[in-house]
Amino acid sequence: MKLLLKGIDEPGLNTLEVYERRGGYQSLRKALAMTPEELLEQLKTSGLRGRGGAGFAMGTKVSFLPKGSMDKFLVCNADESEPGTFKDRELMQKTPHSLIEGIVIASYAAGTGRAYIYIRGEYVLQADILDAALREARAAGYVGEHVLGSEHSVSLVVHRGAGAYICGEETGLLDSLEGKRGNPRLKPPFPAIQGLYQGPTLINNVETLATVPSIVALGGDEYAKLGVETSTGTKVVSISGHVQRPGNYEVELGIPSRELIYGLAGGPPEGRQVKCWFPGGSSSPVLKAEDLDVPYDFNSMAQAGSMLGSGAVIVVDDSTPILEVAMKVAKFYRHESCGKCTPCREGTNWTVKMLERIDAGEATPMDLDIMASVQDHIIGNCLCVLGDAMAMPIGSMIEKFREEFEAHNEAARMRRGRGASPASEGVLAAHGALDA
Amino acid sequence: MGRSMPRPQPHTITFTVDGREVKAPENMMLADAAQLGDVEIPVFCYEPKLGQPVGACRMCLVEIEGIPKLQTGCSTQVKDGMVVYTESPRVKTAQRAVVEFLLINHPLDCPVCDKGGECPLQDITFGWGGGISRFVDPKRHFVKPLELSPLIAIDRERCILCYRCVRFSQELSEDYQLVLLERGAHSYVSTFDGHPYVAPFSGNIVELCPVGALTSRAYRFRARPWDVEDAGSVCTLCPAQCNVTLTVRDERAMRVLARDNTEVDDGWLCDKGRFAYQSFHVDERVTEPLVRDGGQLRAVSWERALEEAAAGLARANAHTGAIAAGASTNEEGLLLARLVREALGSPHIDSRRAGALPLELHRALGEPSLQARTSDLEFAHAVLVLDAEPVNDAPILDLRLRKGVRRNGLKLAVASPNPSLLDANAALSVRYPLGEGAAFASALADALAAGPGAEPDGQAGELAKLLRAAGEDIVVLWGERLTAGANGAAGAKALLRIAQALGMAGVEGAGLLEIPAFANGRGLREAGVLPGIGPGLSQAGTGTRGANGAGVQASTDAGSGASTGAGAANGAGLAPRDAHAIAAGLADGELSALYLLHCEPLRELPDGELWERALARASTVIAHSSFLTDGLREHADVVFPAEVYAEKEGTIVHPDGRVQRLRPAIARAGSVRAEWQVIAELALRLGLDTDVLSGAMASRRLFEAVPFYAGLTLEEIGGRGVRWQERDAASAYPTATPDLSGRTGSLAQAGDGAAELAGYRSIWDAPEVEFSPALEFLLAPRSGVFPRERVTLPLTYVGNEGT
Amino acid sequence: MTAVRRFEHGSRVPGWDAAVDLEKDPAEIPGVGGSPAPEVPAELRAEIEGHLALYPDRHSAALPALAAAQRLHGWCSPEALEQVACVMRVTPAYLESVATFYDMLETQPVGRHSVYVCTNISCSLRGADALLEAMQRAADAAPDGAAEFNVRGFECLGACDIAPMASVDGVYVGPLSTADVPQLLDDARAGRPVLPEKQLALRPCADPEAGA
Ligand SMILES: Cc1cc2nc3c(=O)[nH]c(=O)nc-3n(C[C@H](O)[C@H](O)[C@H](O)COP(=O)(O)O)c2cc1C
Ligand code: SF4
Ligand code: FES
Repeated sequence: MKLLLKGIDEPGLNTLEVYERRGGYQSLRKALAMTPEELLEQLKTSGLRGRGGAGFAMGTKVSFLPKGSMDKFLVCNADESEPGTFKDRELMQKTPHSLIEGIVIASYAAGTGRAYIYIRGEYVLQADILDAALREARAAGYVGEHVLGSEHSVSLVVHRGAGAYICGEETGLLDSLEGKRGNPRLKPPFPAIQGLYQGPTLINNVETLATVPSIVALGGDEYAKLGVETSTGTKVVSISGHVQRPGNYEVELGIPSRELIYGLAGGPPEGRQVKCWFPGGSSSPVLKAEDLDVPYDFNSMAQAGSMLGSGAVIVVDDSTPILEVAMKVAKFYRHESCGKCTPCREGTNWTVKMLERIDAGEATPMDLDIMASVQDHIIGNCLCVLGDAMAMPIGSMIEKFREEFEAHNEAARMRRGRGASPASEGVLAAHGALDA
Repeated sequence: MGRSMPRPQPHTITFTVDGREVKAPENMMLADAAQLGDVEIPVFCYEPKLGQPVGACRMCLVEIEGIPKLQTGCSTQVKDGMVVYTESPRVKTAQRAVVEFLLINHPLDCPVCDKGGECPLQDITFGWGGGISRFVDPKRHFVKPLELSPLIAIDRERCILCYRCVRFSQELSEDYQLVLLERGAHSYVSTFDGHPYVAPFSGNIVELCPVGALTSRAYRFRARPWDVEDAGSVCTLCPAQCNVTLTVRDERAMRVLARDNTEVDDGWLCDKGRFAYQSFHVDERVTEPLVRDGGQLRAVSWERALEEAAAGLARANAHTGAIAAGASTNEEGLLLARLVREALGSPHIDSRRAGALPLELHRALGEPSLQARTSDLEFAHAVLVLDAEPVNDAPILDLRLRKGVRRNGLKLAVASPNPSLLDANAALSVRYPLGEGAAFASALADALAAGPGAEPDGQAGELAKLLRAAGEDIVVLWGERLTAGANGAAGAKALLRIAQALGMAGVEGAGLLEIPAFANGRGLREAGVLPGIGPGLSQAGTGTRGANGAGVQASTDAGSGASTGAGAANGAGLAPRDAHAIAAGLADGELSALYLLHCEPLRELPDGELWERALARASTVIAHSSFLTDGLREHADVVFPAEVYAEKEGTIVHPDGRVQRLRPAIARAGSVRAEWQVIAELALRLGLDTDVLSGAMASRRLFEAVPFYAGLTLEEIGGRGVRWQERDAASAYPTATPDLSGRTGSLAQAGDGAAELAGYRSIWDAPEVEFSPALEFLLAPRSGVFPRERVTLPLTYVGNEGT
Repeated sequence: MTAVRRFEHGSRVPGWDAAVDLEKDPAEIPGVGGSPAPEVPAELRAEIEGHLALYPDRHSAALPALAAAQRLHGWCSPEALEQVACVMRVTPAYLESVATFYDMLETQPVGRHSVYVCTNISCSLRGADALLEAMQRAADAAPDGAAEFNVRGFECLGACDIAPMASVDGVYVGPLSTADVPQLLDDARAGRPVLPEKQLALRPCADPEAGA
């Protein structure tokens, strides 16, 4: 069953004409015929869970917004910067009106009068397409004052980011949208209570919002029949890395992971085996080949010790040293740490240095234990979860591939051909004795 | 409408921390609430003065029953029944982890670090850290220390990115010059494109920094915490009278720190108050008595100086004029007034910059029920800044107003002749021609009197509407210049009519707040240093016999009836002269002697060229001064070396009526003597026994002389001061109901003579700044906070309008 | 003092070791309270004012405004920041602080054409690191390559389906091999469409049933 990708390659689907011809904006009419409360009920019964990473039930989140006449905001999170994730990109590029329609419907349910799409600056093409689609939608009365003559009004602006992963974190996004550095905020207060410009704010991912029209079309309980009980509906999964047919695939939640990686994406190249895989972007703890039969849904992934995250499957085959993977992940988070809170800023940086020493064969025997405990010290102690987003996968790699790390260090040590005590060397360097 | 955040009315709850039951105001942050139970939660980035917590450093993590994740104590509000653990294994692990993380890139240079010994990072590492670091890689190393401004050095190796300094620049002083650049572990504190961080309040970041990353270039390496002592006093470099702690080593002031008093300074200092202490110890200080001898001022013995002074005064007696200003204490003012009135029989004494007001108006303006508190500036519904520029006239109030606007939705209105630094924060800013403050105030009073809806068009009308709409609690922060010069009385009446129209009287949180021209302006007035006005705003005797029995008794006893007799004779029925009239009198020979207490007419008073003539012609000029300014060097006949505030003992009065106490923090320089002592000695030589033998006695005499200070003691004043309006004795205040009719509308085009260029910052225009090496850079004419060349418009002085 | 090995930490940050110039005036809001105001090109001012109008709080226009200034000046130079600050009525420091936070805003002079090579996990599993190296070498070798090209290794650009890939002046191309490098750079320099047949824009969805 395809809801989002159905006919997505139809030429001109990004134009209003084609989109309407295919029944576009009928859901909006249907929604406006209901009361916001009825609409919210539909969203709740659909069981739709956020597709951005946290997997929080969308209907519930909408219901958190206070009622009343104050300025309320809807922000669409189109920052899509979780490594391995590229589903929102394809949706915005090929069917921008699904997103716009979803935003207008959601804003009606949540009573938000101003909406923003925060799209990562790198997505130039997609932002241009959204802007064009938005002009059409405004002209046709789908966006703006009194949508389709109803009492509901909503303005919509496409806001382009400038390259910072942390601006995908909802509160970092809000600061960025307010024109500041994208530092996450303390929670509570949560955005639903005090978000953009201090006003109540609904933040949802592109895919989440783009799904809303289908829910209205099908009806909440019809939609809920798709997928499995705790993870309803379909999900666009981005599969990349060592697979033969990387790309976006829409599946009902709950199918076996093996089906995704082998059935749809064709598995690793000939003669190679799956070494490990990230089920939900680089922030999710890695799983191994033996986990391939875990059903692909929120709860099963959690039980397997990882998470569905943004629904980005990254496959690593046995040709790649685990250290390379760990290094990429750690360096990414060090680069993207906003620097506001101590454990993330210093922990990511420290982790990279330890990995570099292992790679150079300079690691002390304790280094793996230290590295593991540093991850533990990061998890749960940060202001936002970017820190955890590095610590969890790195921790899982140390746990699952410890011997390989040790062997790597040993091999490198042999190549260096001396057994100098790296620790003492490090200490010397720390005291400035070591020249560059 | 209404206050968006009223003064917090704390309601007490009970919570448990580490097994102790603790009572605390509800919603207080855990980090503070825990202290009420003697439990310390370590913090780095948390500083309540900076507003909302940011939760960045993660040092304050605690465990709260019922919440799975550890929470930041700096941002979690206590609720009734909360159960908190700050020493559980989980918390300890987290605390050790955070300390370890912070130390990863922190250099091990404590032995050469200025912060050593008073460093939160040291203390917390010792108290909560794990004791070891497992980090063996090289630390970062950078060139250090680097200049951040002429006043501040930055050591980026030591920075732990707690955000305090940048938050101060961005959210408190709102100059937004100091920022974080780059991201993540690369982040560092800096300014735009290598510009220095120069702003009126920049020094506060040194005190905020929890490590040795930001240090005062004036203090670096001058002392260690264990070889200094702290001395609390009050800064008298401007009327804001911020509470300060002086760091003293070997009787020298090494630095000045804020001594938080929410009712006065809210815990901040301006850079003048923070760095001008250097002037206490410079060669330009006058440290010995000087007497003019063969056209030259020469150092002489005290005996000789007192001799000369007494002789000169005796010659002039009733033809003497006296002016007290600057840091003069109430006690000194009272003694001076007695010296002049009783010993010399002269009524000519003043402490205002330009022009006297009728007694009735002084009384009405000082009316206790009309006085706003400093903290009202923060919580009022609206504040009107009238004919004043806070950042120049009382800098710290500028921060208070910004805070009110930012945090409490205060509506700010500014009415001034020049653009104001506060315009950006103001809901309404209006401009009027220089010197027309009184005229504008009258127009505003008329507009308010017209009543709701009936306001006329134009600036005054708009302002009236805004004030009415804002709410009950309205404060008018006005500058003395509004009641100065030809239109002074009209300005005063306008103020009173504004207060009347807004129904301020007796309303908690509303009222008038004056910024006097001189640091202790209010105190000196209440002590009776005004023409024709005696202690406690009484009708002063003009010096005729009987008017001051005690004094005359004393003087006759002292057997120098001649001088007082003569004084009395000449003094009888003379019209008291204000500062300007004194100058005029000296210039045309009607007066012959001038007594200056902490006042340099050529610098601090209008009508420069009149004063030139006055000083040139005066036969005797006696001055108490800490510095030998050009005017004194040229004209003074006797210069008594004067105390700087750090050497002074006595009391002063804050603009809102808070009686504060000066405590000697350092030994007097050279052979400097206390002013009270010198004046008392002179009085004695002129036949008046003031019966003051110690500073404490001087204060006691003051509390006796001013009815509404009755019963006050130095102990009661203590370190925080007391507002006399809040004491029972306030009922002794001589209330007045002056006739407020009289000239409004268009008034004589006259100001107090000094106009200011946009960008000119009179805050820096003081000898203390000039003589403080650290602040010299401010004297170069440059943009922003720097003084520009001062223009004095040739305004014709129309004299005192009278009632 | 012995030269201490810095590792890469901090070394990307020239400002770390820089003191201020005490001869300069403090950098306040240009054109306010007597501080000098720069000349702002009319079209830049117009564009920024357009953005200002879109938000309840003018600060929100910072990123679009800085992007506009970068298009005009080639990078967020001090002059560019002062111009934006003047129109937005904020201090240039505020803008520099924002600009240095975001990867796409350049606070050092850079080459005319931006070539972002994704080196994050999915791309590097498919040879991105070799691609970046080749790209950098070719750009350095090219005539005034430094002025023409701004080749950067970049974090995940959200196109792992065409890994290894690059974004050339905002246009996504991939999968790339080192063999594509010369053509890619030539196209960029000439302002031609870059490797048209490899542009993401033309790529169909991977899901077999999607087209239907
Ligand atoms: C470090 C970090 C990065 C994130 N990046 C994204 C992102 O790129 N796109 C996104 O939709 N959500 C991202 N999220 C999740 C958002 O914080 C937020 O949960 C989500 O946008 C809510 O929308 P949803 O409920 O529809 O998923 C990120 C979270 C974290 C902690
Ligand atoms: S966890 Fe990292 S990204 Fe999140 S606030 Fe802390 S430093 Fe910033
Ligand atoms: S003090 Fe709580 S996070 Fe810094």
